[in-house]
Amino acid sequence: MYDKSRMLTGALVACTLLSSAPAFAQTDTMQTAAVPPHGFWITTPAPDFTAGAGKAISIPLTVINDTETPHRAALTLSGVPDGWTYALKGHGYEVAAAMVGPRDTGDLTLELTPPTDAAPKAYQLDLKADYGDGAVDLPISLTISDAPMDVATLEPELPALRGSVKSTFKYKLKLTNGGAEDALFNLDADVPPGFQTTFKKGYGSDEITGIPVKAGASEDVTMEGKLDNAVPAGNYPIHVATVAGDQKAAADLALEVTGSPELALTGPQGRLSGKAVAGEASSFAFKLDNTGSAPAEGVKLAASNPNGWTVSFQPAQVPEIPAGASQDINVTIKPTEKAIAGDYMVTLRANAEGTSQSAQFRTTVETSTMWGIVGLGIIGISVLVLALAVMRYGRR
Amino acid sequence: MKREGSPLKGVMTIALKEAADHMTSARMHLIMLLVLLTAADAVYAAIDQIKATTSEDPFLFLKLFTVARQPLPSFASFMGFLLPLVAIALGFDGVNGEYGRRTMSRILAQPIYRDAVLFGKFLGGMLVIGIALLTLWLLMFGLGILLLGLPPSGGDMARSLAYLAATLVYTGVWLALALAFSTLIRAPATSALAALSVWLIFSIFWSMISPFVASALSPVDPYDPVSIVHAYETGLAVARISPATLYGEVATMLLDPSSRSVGPLFMSQMQGALVGAPLPTLQSILIVWPQISGLFAGMMLLFTGAYFVFQRQEVRA
Repeated sequence: MYDKSRMLTGALVACTLLSSAPAFAQTDTMQTAAVPPHGFWITTPAPDFTAGAGKAISIPLTVINDTETPHRAALTLSGVPDGWTYALKGHGYEVAAAMVGPRDTGDLTLELTPPTDAAPKAYQLDLKADYGDGAVDLPISLTISDAPMDVATLEPELPALRGSVKSTFKYKLKLTNGGAEDALFNLDADVPPGFQTTFKKGYGSDEITGIPVKAGASEDVTMEGKLDNAVPAGNYPIHVATVAGDQKAAADLALEVTGSPELALTGPQGRLSGKAVAGEASSFAFKLDNTGSAPAEGVKLAASNPNGWTVSFQPAQVPEIPAGASQDINVTIKPTEKAIAGDYMVTLRANAEGTSQSAQFRTTVETSTMWGIVGLGIIGISVLVLALAVMRYGRR
Repeated sequence: MKREGSPLKGVMTIALKEAADHMTSARMHLIMLLVLLTAADAVYAAIDQIKATTSEDPFLFLKLFTVARQPLPSFASFMGFLLPLVAIALGFDGVNGEYGRRTMSRILAQPIYRDAVLFGKFLGGMLVIGIALLTLWLLMFGLGILLLGLPPSGGDMARSLAYLAATLVYTGVWLALALAFSTLIRAPATSALAALSVWLIFSIFWSMISPFVASALSPVDPYDPVSIVHAYETGLAVARISPATLYGEVATMLLDPSSRSVGPLFMSQMQGALVGAPLPTLQSILIVWPQISGLFAGMMLLFTGAYFVFQRQEVRA
């Protein structure tokens, strides 16, 4: 089988030679005219580059042996300043020499770490390979740059917002990954107490804690802030920070919370029901609280009551209720004389500038007991008449 | 001439004897059979109706009294119609029957005052009526528990007991009327007919007569809305002369917790009102208290009249 295929190959080669004899002759003359140089070299794709201080640099090296014999090359690196660390690595080991077979190449890596305080200037390094028959040099020029290389930025579109406690604050932030690699940025906001913040991507609805950003690209992040009702009016700083590995970015935002008054009307002992007698005034102790974050000014009290009823407030007007304070209101309800027994709804309202509050007070009207007494009187009179008749007409 | 001791001495003896006589009399048996049959029928029909239509009601047992299924009237209207008949049956020959049997002088030969006879007869009748009503009431609740499968609520109990008491007073009016006729009229048949005609007039014809009387008393001027109100109020006042009307108002008020008034209502009075919210039991009683006291006073005055006539009668004839 083996012999058979060899014969077949030989026949094919013969045919090819026969058919293209002139072309072959031409190529052969060109090869002999430009003989490639033989020798031993050490190369790198980027012999002159800029790097940041304090970061590991790895330089790929290629050792080319274009001779007829294998060569062992002892490698030495000179021109390394004090404090720098370096290592030559090949096949996962730290190496001091490389051996490359004839007409072969070998790969090595030079790992170099300049210290963080390395002066920003150009450094000349020289890698020397002594391969017995001679020595080759690879000069490497390395410039330490003082500009940070990998910088993420976080830019707010509108850094200062203003609104009331009830509104939702939305900050649009643009996060740019200035590094050479894709990175996942963690998002975090440092807020005063009473704030809740959530991060969302762009105009999306999913809450996120981190966002992946491609190298050199940027993403829109929206930070939403909500406030507790108890947050007093004032200016609040918000510090948003994002971290991905050793990339850090931060933005300072400001929030001005404008206060608003909020009224709460509570009935006697927290109840919103009471009893009243038709035609008679009953008073109920109400409490008007300002639960908002700003004083309620010009508070007026009013009621919508059934026809013929009188509802009065003591006091009917309060010039100001400070935030968090309360005011006692005495509400006097007098159902009309003709009110029939049963439950009625009386709506009590408190209006202040910018806010209002109403409460439905369920008033149970009771019939006046006067007619009950009159009825008892009628019964009493009838019994009396009987007793008188017994006394007058009683016989022996 | 001063008399000695209490005029009411011996009342209880006569009352108990009278009650025992009524209990064993065929007349009483027949009339109670009629009442029991109609009442059971009305309640049974009401339960059927409640089961079919009511899903939830805090005063379910009170519906037993008021719900009616055509063509039967409700239990409460049956009571308003038939209880006077019971009272008349018990009282129409109370006094003149004694004369007829020539037993009056024999009773008065006992060491009692004449007062005790009439008081005893009235109290004996009331005792029998009370026992009959209590039996009816227990029967109602028993049937209700059995067929509805629910216990009555406290509100049900309070209101129906108040209704029971009002019913007793209403029946007392008719008993006093029958006794008054039996003292006035010597022939038992005549006194029975007289009592029955009053019953028929007030139970059936009064609702037809009263609008005529009212329109004569306060005519309606079509250009004056106030006169319509006046005419209505006069009509109501005339209708309330009848104990049956008063009793109907009491029954409506006590058995329907959501009803608020027995008189006319203006829209302005209903403004802001929560329609359908039940009134407290005491408030309902307070609203119909004038009616109840009117019935009670009527009963007392009728009895006083009978007493007045009886005390001046010649008993030896």
